Amino acid sequence: MDRELRLVGVSRAFGEHVALDEVSFTVRPGRTTGFIGANGAGKTTAMRIILGVLAPDAGRVEIGGRPLTLPVRARFGYMPEERGLYPKMKVADQLVYLGRVHGLDLATARRRTHELLEQLGLADRADDHLQTLSLGNQQRVQVAAALVHDPIALVLDEPFSGLDPLAIDAMGAQLRERAEAGVPVLFSSHQLELVERLCDDVVIIHEGRVVAAGDAGDLRAARAGRRYRVVVERPDGAPVPSPDLLATLTAAVPAATRVADPTAVRSGASATDEELAGVVVDLGPDGDEDALLAAALGAGRLREFAPVVPTLAEIFREAVR
Amino acid sequence: MSTPETARSETVAGRPALPDESAGTRAWSTVRVVAAREIAVKLRDKAFLWTTAFMLLLVTAATVLPVLLSQRVPDLRVAVQGEAAVEVVGLAAELGAQAQDEPAVTSPLELLSIGGLPRADISWVTVDPGVDVQRLLHDEDVVAALLGDEPDGLRLVGLRDVPTELETLVTAAAGELQVAQAAHDGGLSPEQVTAITQPTPPQVELLEPRDEGTMPPELLALLFAFLFYLSVLTFGTSIAQSVVEEKQSRVVELLVAAVPVRWLLTGKVLGNTIMATAQVGVIVGAGLLGAVVAGQGSLVTQLVGSAGWFVLFFLLGFVMLSCLWAVGGSLASRVEELSSTTALMQILVIVPFFAAVLPIDEGTRTLLSYVPFTAPLLMPARIVLGTAEAWEPAVAAVAVLLTSAVFVWLGARLYAGSVLHTSGRLKAAQAWRGTD
Repeated sequence: MDRELRLVGVSRAFGEHVALDEVSFTVRPGRTTGFIGANGAGKTTAMRIILGVLAPDAGRVEIGGRPLTLPVRARFGYMPEERGLYPKMKVADQLVYLGRVHGLDLATARRRTHELLEQLGLADRADDHLQTLSLGNQQRVQVAAALVHDPIALVLDEPFSGLDPLAIDAMGAQLRERAEAGVPVLFSSHQLELVERLCDDVVIIHEGRVVAAGDAGDLRAARAGRRYRVVVERPDGAPVPSPDLLATLTAAVPAATRVADPTAVRSGASATDEELAGVVVDLGPDGDEDALLAAALGAGRLREFAPVVPTLAEIFREAVR
Repeated sequence: MSTPETARSETVAGRPALPDESAGTRAWSTVRVVAAREIAVKLRDKAFLWTTAFMLLLVTAATVLPVLLSQRVPDLRVAVQGEAAVEVVGLAAELGAQAQDEPAVTSPLELLSIGGLPRADISWVTVDPGVDVQRLLHDEDVVAALLGDEPDGLRLVGLRDVPTELETLVTAAAGELQVAQAAHDGGLSPEQVTAITQPTPPQVELLEPRDEGTMPPELLALLFAFLFYLSVLTFGTSIAQSVVEEKQSRVVELLVAAVPVRWLLTGKVLGNTIMATAQVGVIVGAGLLGAVVAGQGSLVTQLVGSAGWFVLFFLLGFVMLSCLWAVGGSLASRVEELSSTTALMQILVIVPFFAAVLPIDEGTRTLLSYVPFTAPLLMPARIVLGTAEAWEPAVAAVAVLLTSAVFVWLGARLYAGSVLHTSGRLKAAQAWRGTD
């Protein structure tokens, strides 16, 4: 069955402020989709619209090509940005309750609650009040609340925030498992390395607009193809300084533009001479790789000429610049 | 792309698809689940359980105690010294015995009312002048001592106090004897003396007598008004709290993502209505049971006869106000803000209550019994008092019902507009527009 979750031209404004501007993207079943963007980019608004908590001003949300209906939406799993369950209710009781609110019958809700608490290592806390649990364990119960009704789609707003590394791995495994069971999984995160590690697909949103979306590997490869790192030595073995090398290269290939070397940028003032020696250039759509190579060879002894595959973090920084 | 049918029959991760149910079935089952949680929470609320237990105790005591008290006749042993004292105690004992032949006191009010002589079994020992009366009292051999040779020179001596029954009976006996003595000294015949000491009271005739052993209708109306007032205040606060707790703990976003806001509101109102009705039922039931146990059959008949309209107005009035209480809860973002956001609802409960219990003129009372806020209190009162025509309660009930419908609609809209706003207080106008 086609369980693809799709936003089509979704717009939403709060007063004067446009939170989402004709946002369209797809969350494919069987894959995890990372939703990244700066604070206030519109991630939470988009997720709330998917869940029907907010209504869009324009556009629509579809699953399998059909508009979302109430009974279908009730089978979604959701972890809101603002976490929260009933503090004075027993852990198992509230999972059973939430399962029933999502349409499960009592027996199924109890069975699922039991299974989930076992899986999450919380079986011995089933009859404790939520507020007596540690924050980490409360977060796990929150995950259980999103999963208790065996959702047909998962929408998780910052599911990793506040988790320790081990819990992040466990959560990642949960998402992966759901995705492999054929569920479209959408989650937002600020931790780009994490998204890089866990995501099949990426949607990058900036100021209410989608600036990049698709397979994470493809996105990186698409940018990698036109970007090169060049290091050239003088005959005496000393590296050619970056400004000189850049001047030589751009003179030969006008289309080439310098990319701030993330390594150098990160090292800041402590950058070594060797790091300063190389340059990273984008060829742009018209640039000629052979011309760039020839120019590099002409500049001295070529030490390195390699395509650069940008990290997701780099793609994100560029996309939102 | 698949059809809706195949979509629904699909299974994910080994889980059977939802049964193909209509939106109506699902709405109803969700409302039931939400209502059941409200009830479960209330049943675990210690404050609620204690209040209910206390009220049960109060009602049982109010019906059973007066009967038990009135059935108890005190045994009073008195030491007597002197000729007049003996005579007075003899008459007092006679009066105390006579009082026991009169019908038992059957309602709390009659117990409190003054008039008639108290019932008592008085016995006495005559002591010689030389005997130490004070020692008898210290030994608690007797409850009091009556001393004196002349009817107008009697002393009633007690240790710490003298039993009220004894004092009243002795006073009456001494008075009667002195009047008789004076009349006799004045040369009146024995018949004339009797006419003075035991005058014949006027015969009381009632055109529409109340059944023996029933509660005065004013008291019954007051009781109903109090129950309504207490219930709406208790459960209204409970609804408002339940709403704001879901906002404060942020769980509401999960709920709203799963079900429409209206279903949540309906579940909350339903759950609390059931609990309120059950609580009133248990309390009134305890009162009835107490009345049966105490053998007050006619009080039972009276209560059952007037409870029907009361229950109807109770339900309508409760639902009318409970939606507003939910709005009061949803306008607050923290429990601490409840008292200010529910101020209007408190006024809507308290003002009608005082209108119902304070004496107001009949015209105003009739008018207020049609105003939806005061009708649930005043119309049952008028029915109990017998001042309402048969058609009047029906008209008032329709007025309350229509107002309920408007308030439910209004409450649902305000609730939906404010329930997701989790930071800070809201104004009703903001909630009306929606807060996003």
